[in-house]
Amino acid sequence: MNTVIDTTIAEQAADSAADTAANATADTEAPTVLELEHVSYSYTKGGKRVLDDKNYAFRAGRVISITGPSGAGKTTLLSLLSGLTTPSSGRVLYRGDDLARADRYRYRSRDIGVIFQSFNLLPALTVAENIILSMDASGKTFDKPKKEIAAELIAKVRLQPEYVNERILHLSGGEQQRVAIARALSYDPSIILADEPTGNLDLSTQDDIMAIFRQLAHEEGKCVIIVTHSPDVAAQSDEVYQLAKLRRTR
Amino acid sequence: MFVLKNAWKTVMRNKGRNILIIIIVAIIAAAATIGLSIRNAAQEARETGLASTTVTATISADRSKLMEQARESADSSSDSSDSSDSSASSDSSDSSSSDSSQTPDFDAMRATLESASLTLADYQKYEKASSVPVSSYYSESTGVSGTDSFQPVESTSSNSANSSSSSDSSSDSSSDSSSGDSQNGNGQPGGQPGGDMGGGQGGGMMMTSGDFTLTGFSSDTAVANAANGTFTMVDGEVFGYDSDSDGKVIISKALADFNDLEVGDTITVTNPSDTSTTYTLTICGIYKNTTSSNTDAMGPMGGTSQDADNAIYTSVSTLKSLGLDADTTANDDDDNTSTQLSYTYVLDNADDYETFTADVKAAGLDDTYTVQSADVENYESSLVPLDNLAKFALTLLIVVLAVGAVVLIVLNLFNIRERKYEVGVLTAIGVKKAKVAAQFAIELLIVTMCGIALGVAGGAVASVPVSNQLLAAQVSSQETQAASQQEQFGRGADMGGGPGAQNTSNSSDSDSSSSDSSANSSNSSNNSSSNNTQSAPGGMRGGFSRAVNYVSTIDATVNLKVVGQLILIGLGLTLASALVGIIFVMRYEPLQILADRS
Repeated sequence: MNTVIDTTIAEQAADSAADTAANATADTEAPTVLELEHVSYSYTKGGKRVLDDKNYAFRAGRVISITGPSGAGKTTLLSLLSGLTTPSSGRVLYRGDDLARADRYRYRSRDIGVIFQSFNLLPALTVAENIILSMDASGKTFDKPKKEIAAELIAKVRLQPEYVNERILHLSGGEQQRVAIARALSYDPSIILADEPTGNLDLSTQDDIMAIFRQLAHEEGKCVIIVTHSPDVAAQSDEVYQLAKLRRTR
Repeated sequence: MFVLKNAWKTVMRNKGRNILIIIIVAIIAAAATIGLSIRNAAQEARETGLASTTVTATISADRSKLMEQARESADSSSDSSDSSDSSASSDSSDSSSSDSSQTPDFDAMRATLESASLTLADYQKYEKASSVPVSSYYSESTGVSGTDSFQPVESTSSNSANSSSSSDSSSDSSSDSSSGDSQNGNGQPGGQPGGDMGGGQGGGMMMTSGDFTLTGFSSDTAVANAANGTFTMVDGEVFGYDSDSDGKVIISKALADFNDLEVGDTITVTNPSDTSTTYTLTICGIYKNTTSSNTDAMGPMGGTSQDADNAIYTSVSTLKSLGLDADTTANDDDDNTSTQLSYTYVLDNADDYETFTADVKAAGLDDTYTVQSADVENYESSLVPLDNLAKFALTLLIVVLAVGAVVLIVLNLFNIRERKYEVGVLTAIGVKKAKVAAQFAIELLIVTMCGIALGVAGGAVASVPVSNQLLAAQVSSQETQAASQQEQFGRGADMGGGPGAQNTSNSSDSDSSSSDSSANSSNSSNNSSSNNTQSAPGGMRGGFSRAVNYVSTIDATVNLKVVGQLILIGLGLTLASALVGIIFVMRYEPLQILADRS
């Protein structure tokens, strides 16, 4: 029973946070890009629920943070939003279409750019190769040579141009982070999803990265979703969805 | 496109590992190339070896079967048999292995054998029954005796060595009926009508007695295939085959010199069993044998008529006009002179030979006859080392491919496990699993195809010398086997297949004569060493076990067929090992990437 109550409280808190955020900006002008509808998730069928009846809406042009303590289901939410898996019940809607029934590979390759916590770049490839790999995988056509776009992106994430042909192996964590962002942006997705983007970065780098995200949302109208446990990051976001701790520690 | 590009890039990126795989695949492919090309060459040699050359076939009686039949019929009708033998046969019916049965009913046997020989009409009937184009030629040989003015070439020493076994007539040609008697009485060397060859090509005049062998040929082809070997004309020309040329003969140079004869002279010969019957023949040519391989086979046992120099060649038409042709002598029971018909079919190729064999059986050839072809048999036995090599090549191929498949699968398994992270990244950024699997398969395909290309090139270079080397080893092992038998028996052992087996249908009683003859031959070869054609070192058996010319080189070049087969094999191997990767990728859950945090 306690669990249910906790959930309700958490939900109310989240809802109110969303309301506040919505009120703060130009009301409902920005369309909802991604939406969670009564989403629940458990790893095994009939097993313990990691997420329970979540309802969130993500709009374009906003930086949205999802925060919560460890074990609140942040990673699960990330995998649901990125289309790596489907909810046990409820729906994840991308522009009104149920992701469970859509081609999630296509969704991942074209519509959402995911910056994983561990970046998931291919270490044997160069920076440019990693970026171009994602562009190739999207199957989109580009009006400029891919190499050129990659160079522009690298400048955009504030890396030196000579990094283009550097192998990922030789890059630091912060540099890899930037490359991962560049890769996520390369095929011009409408959603950017970042998992702990500032996890192991120093403060100035963190602010730098957050500035990039805000720029993407506010200037390019992208929907930027950041999963984080950092209050600083949450504070720099337009909206914050708080995930309550579901799992009982006592 | 994305998949191909990615696969190519990945291949280029992992040079070290891929070079290792290429080397392994190249070795496998090279071994497989050699194996395949050997098999291919062996098959081709078998198929084409006799396809373009003509094949000669003969119909011969299976004498053991005939004897069996004769024995059975003799047993069943023993009561009604000849009164002269009645006592013996009635005894033998009771106690089969008693002393009386030791003397078989020779007359009955001989009658059976004689009746077993096919007539010219029979042969021609079978020729017509063939559904494939077949031509034929035949020769008929009979023995004739000399007269005072016309004597056979002979040396006294060899003559005396022969006299015991062969016939009196050879040493004393004027004694009229002795040769006939000796034939009946002995029943052994000279007196085996329808005997050893039963119409076979090789030694049609074996049974003849008398001083000379008078052989009638049906055509130039028949002459070219004369039993005594090929010859060249020294003087004059060969007789024609129509009745205009009746009475014209050609004789050997030695015989001409011996009797001081020239072209245009006439000679007179007599019927060996009846000297009052004389035949007058005109010499229209004198020939000299260029090869005399088959004369050795006869040894000295056959008397002077077996001497190649004492062969008189004429046309079938001449024989007919003299009443000495096969049909006439066969119908004439009293006449002990039997003419041996040697009928040979010529077929376009080995396939036609098979068809012909079937056709002849269908046309009513009795089970006691077999269609034989020395060409085919020779060829088959010449292929023995090649067949062994082909078997070896197959084993090699199977082992190499099995090992290759296992190695490739294991390598690929390790490879894929190492690239689990890559699979995760690719699926996470939205590359479909099927595409990832395809990429991995294509990578492997690129690598194995490179390996196969190298291997085929290496194998193509190596296949000809390697296969010939292997074949040489096989041939020498065959020859060693033959040689060791030769050493053990002091002569060509009558063990293996091949042409030596031609006389396997000989009945048991012919063995005694052959052992005699080989003993005699050593004498005669010493005594008559001056006489070229008479030298018979191995005796009769030595003649039979003439060396088989084994196929010792093959054209194991790599052709398109082999390359195609190899590419198919390569594709198969690649798919088999790629399957491991495909299964791995397909089972991968994209969600796992979140757990694969390095």
